[in-house]
Amino acid sequence: MLPPSLSSATALARRDFIFRAAGGFLGAAIGGVLQESSRVNAASGIPNAPGPARSVIFLFMCGGVSHIDTFDPKDNKWAGKLIDAVGFGDNLAEMKRPVIPCHRAFTRHGQSGTPVSDWFPHVGGVIDDIALIRSMWCHETNHFPAVVEMATGHRDRIVDHPSFGSWISYALGSENRNLPTFVSMGRASSPLQLNGGYLGANVAATPFLTGPAPIRNLQPPTGSTAMDRDRQTRALERMNAEFRKTYATQSAIAARLESYELAARMQLSAPNACDIASEPEGVRALYGVGASPTDDFGKQLLLARRLVERGVRFVQVCHAGGGNGAWDSHGDMESHAPLCRQVDKPIAGLLRDLKQRGLLESTLVVWTSEFGRTPWSQNTTGRDHNPRGFTSWLAGGGARGGTVWGATDDVGYRAIQNPVYVSDLQATILRQMGIDHRKLEIEIHGRPVRLIEPGSEPVLGLVS
Amino acid sequence: MLLLARHPFVASRSSRETALRRGAALFPRKLASLLLLCVLACSTDLIPAQGRERAKAEDLWSLKPLAHPAIPQGFTSSTNAIDAFLGRARHSRGVQAVGPAEKRIWLRRVTFDLIGLPPTPEEQSAFLEDKSPQAEEKLVERLLASEQHGVRYGRHWLDVLRYADVDENMPAAGGIHLWRDWVVDAINHDLAYDAFARAQILGNRAARRRVISAAGHLTRVEPRPEDLFALGFLARGATSRTDADQSIAFSAVETISSAFLGMTVGCAKCHDHFYDPILQSDFYAMKSLFDPLVLRDMTLATTEQILEQGQKVEEHERELNRATEAMRAYVKPYHDRLYEERLSSMTPEVQSAIRKPESRRSAAEQKTYDDYYPILRIDPPKIKAIMPREQVKQYDTMLAQIQALKAPAPLPTFCSVEDDAQRAGQPRYVLTSGDPERPRKSQPVKAGFPFSGGSPDFREGLRETFVDWLTNPANPLFARVAVNRVWHWHFGETLHASISDFGALGGSPRHPELLDWLASEFVAHGCSMKWLHRFILNSDAYRGATSGGAAQERENARIDPDNLTLWKFPLRRLEAEPIRDSILAAAGTLDLRRGGPSFEIGNQRTNSLRRAAYMARGYRSSSEAMPDYLQTFDAEDGRAVCPRRTQTVTAPQALFLMNSEAVNDAAGLFAKRLRNRAGADPAAAVALGFEIALGRDPTGEERQIALDLLQGDADGLKNLCWILFNLDEFLYVR
Repeated sequence: MLPPSLSSATALARRDFIFRAAGGFLGAAIGGVLQESSRVNAASGIPNAPGPARSVIFLFMCGGVSHIDTFDPKDNKWAGKLIDAVGFGDNLAEMKRPVIPCHRAFTRHGQSGTPVSDWFPHVGGVIDDIALIRSMWCHETNHFPAVVEMATGHRDRIVDHPSFGSWISYALGSENRNLPTFVSMGRASSPLQLNGGYLGANVAATPFLTGPAPIRNLQPPTGSTAMDRDRQTRALERMNAEFRKTYATQSAIAARLESYELAARMQLSAPNACDIASEPEGVRALYGVGASPTDDFGKQLLLARRLVERGVRFVQVCHAGGGNGAWDSHGDMESHAPLCRQVDKPIAGLLRDLKQRGLLESTLVVWTSEFGRTPWSQNTTGRDHNPRGFTSWLAGGGARGGTVWGATDDVGYRAIQNPVYVSDLQATILRQMGIDHRKLEIEIHGRPVRLIEPGSEPVLGLVS
Repeated sequence: MLLLARHPFVASRSSRETALRRGAALFPRKLASLLLLCVLACSTDLIPAQGRERAKAEDLWSLKPLAHPAIPQGFTSSTNAIDAFLGRARHSRGVQAVGPAEKRIWLRRVTFDLIGLPPTPEEQSAFLEDKSPQAEEKLVERLLASEQHGVRYGRHWLDVLRYADVDENMPAAGGIHLWRDWVVDAINHDLAYDAFARAQILGNRAARRRVISAAGHLTRVEPRPEDLFALGFLARGATSRTDADQSIAFSAVETISSAFLGMTVGCAKCHDHFYDPILQSDFYAMKSLFDPLVLRDMTLATTEQILEQGQKVEEHERELNRATEAMRAYVKPYHDRLYEERLSSMTPEVQSAIRKPESRRSAAEQKTYDDYYPILRIDPPKIKAIMPREQVKQYDTMLAQIQALKAPAPLPTFCSVEDDAQRAGQPRYVLTSGDPERPRKSQPVKAGFPFSGGSPDFREGLRETFVDWLTNPANPLFARVAVNRVWHWHFGETLHASISDFGALGGSPRHPELLDWLASEFVAHGCSMKWLHRFILNSDAYRGATSGGAAQERENARIDPDNLTLWKFPLRRLEAEPIRDSILAAAGTLDLRRGGPSFEIGNQRTNSLRRAAYMARGYRSSSEAMPDYLQTFDAEDGRAVCPRRTQTVTAPQALFLMNSEAVNDAAGLFAKRLRNRAGADPAAAVALGFEIALGRDPTGEERQIALDLLQGDADGLKNLCWILFNLDEFLYVR
């Protein structure tokens, strides 16, 4: 049942059916085709002032990166001592846990002199472009709830809250009719990270793969030649003609034609957008493409840059997803090492490449996980989940490079100085995109529903 | 959530306008649920929209008794009452119905409708040859008698009953298909609709609870054994073991009120209903009918199997103990050394507490022991670190052996529900925001239900009394809602537009007299669903063509553009299931077996060729639970009552039909089938292809296009089959 305000606005003969994209943008774009003629430009209204950023590249490390071993160095004087801690996961019972030593060496980098661990030497090299937030926090202590909290800004799962990327997609629309507004790459921790929720599936993420076929079913199966297909398509059109004439007044039938035309345009434009082989060798090397172990993530980030160049608003790249996420180093912190090697060079390469193209000012790069890790272990050489304090960072898109915002306590457990909640981070990103977080809302049955609840504000210290 | 609740929305005018525009530009399917609004309202302290007041029960049309209006006379030559009512409606608006559909088009329509499959070439010729006036009626009988009818209409009902194979950690997942199979069988055996509802709420389809035996004894009517599986309907409501007890009752109220009463009682979970005569206390009164329910796992096995399983478990435990003891003995010196080292580093108080036997520890000492337990656990890597290298290999072997000892696979189970005596005796309260942790002690709740008109007498039992009221012929909602659903499945249009909302916000019905006439006849015919199907399908309204001449179309579209009077039969897109079934049917590979576990949980490729009604559906926040295919073609995930499938037209659908492996493989097999049947005669192959895919002969022009395509091309036939799958007509029913 549609509320009166919606049903009266559906004048475009949509009574019979609803446009929705199961896979995201394809349907959104087709919706767009029909909307243009009938309705105000969907991209106006919400942004009240153009922000410096046009796009976001959102890098999500699945499983929880240890801030203590990467961007938030702590004195090892507590190492080996038992401290008051809490149990694992949802078990918040108090118990004693041994603080484990951090075996990393930290080097001060750049003009800012910000210390970065030896697991991120390349990122250290671009630290002057990065605004570190050492005082992030969230509520949830377990992976999926925390991933959902980070992705949607909400904790309840009774309501189908949309992911952050789909809010951006909803607010700003696409700059490119043949590409999605919201793309997701890599294996996510949860399908909810791609979800459009009550904003509709047409603003949901479209999953992209690196390789010749970025979208499912984009190309004909091997065995059909282009000439065959061309001949078939022409015959198909002729055979459809009579039926389409008979039912010309049915909007669904007209939309069938549009859906095939869009599919055809996609077949032409998507492979081109995704053709990272056409990048000069030097650029590919910057991302670590073609070299182990950076090839996969490097390709994804290079593709992310190409998509952003073509007007995609929000590119989410999930690293090491599946199960709890490979960054979930309970057993031994050393299991972080190979993961850091996979992402360090590509991330630095992305920032350098964006900068040399003059795209860094208009592209906000965000790096985070669902939570950080505790100073203590569970009687191992690894660390437990820590939602009370962790590190995320911003680069480009007007972020104030070379700053360090906030701090955790002596051991790295709680954010104690200038704490930044998930929604504060999201409000900051919105601000840089020119979106007033207080106005980003959708009306449902005559009532506004929001991404950012009152109480959360952009962190102005992070941006210039 | 608590954070949100403290900050009511205060939106400025401009942003409201923006949001309104945006809301209009989108078609979020989840918005269709009034319930969503309620959940949002609860979480944000929203107040109801101004300018509307809660309806009074006596004013709501849907709560008025069923009427049995006189059949209008003189508006049609048809003897079917449906045509008389619609004829009068058309007459009053001045529209003329278009003529009947061609015979084979109607055959395709009714076959898809009743069994969800296309008519075979043999069925087409048999129907064409039957020139008797009863040909159509006979066909309807044959299809209603088909076992595939239950698969088709069972699937429709399962949308309404929110069937899912997976829903987070749904405890009933293992045997839930037995409930689905029960529904399919119930439809096939034409279980009366009241018994259909009763069995799923009570586990017993019998209307009478006691009978007098031949010997004159009063005995209880025992449930039919298979009705146990009907209770999967209630057990499905739990999405995890931990909150199973609460979620069964919440889900029961929300689903039963929406599915069988067409009322959004779920909206009253956190506040009095905004629009309908349902108070928050009504929600909890109804919930208390289901509060005594707990899950009950039942093993589905013979006595022999159970005893045999016991042997296997015992054997496994024995082996496991043997291996573990041997391993412990092997590492004991190293383990004890590490343990002693670690313990001696603790303070004397901690040491003394831990060294005491458990029975002699004080509460504080036991707490110390528990706190330090994880630190004193000695894991294999630490033992290996101090072990001589030559022993490590042996230790690894022992660990691997233990790992390899797998417990025997559990026996199949079915998760049902039962009343728990202790829970039944607990007092019930209104819960703040539906939170079981926040009962309002000042608002105790007595069992009851909305619209009951007084305090029901629960001596027969809580659910029993409710079901007696629900299915009573005097309950006007029960039959009205059902008849409207069935009508919608046949026509794609409704007699009352809001299929699951017969409340104030749902508006008035389009055809109130026809709805009441059909509903009262449905009750008079023992709530036989097959009677209802038969009656509707044998009307002229169902025989109508999907389009008339250009002039008539133009004229009618001017007067009744929304086809409210059904002056033509609505053109409809097939749902996800019949599309896939038709593709496999054309390829000749469709597997028509019924029942059993669903296939393709998530994106596991099982390559099953069974009907798509058996394809898994559901939801899990940590991974995809439903195949992409079903999502692409608008099947719902079963988290809420789905009264009407969304109908989208999207590029991913086009890409699936154009490029997917599934369609490509099917086109190859379809072509092979045509070649085998038609031999070297291309015209015969073309004709057969059209018959199989579209249920008709090609027109002269179509034949020529197809023959041109086949000319001098070895793959021509496969290409033709690809075209047939991609035609609009393949996806649409005329």
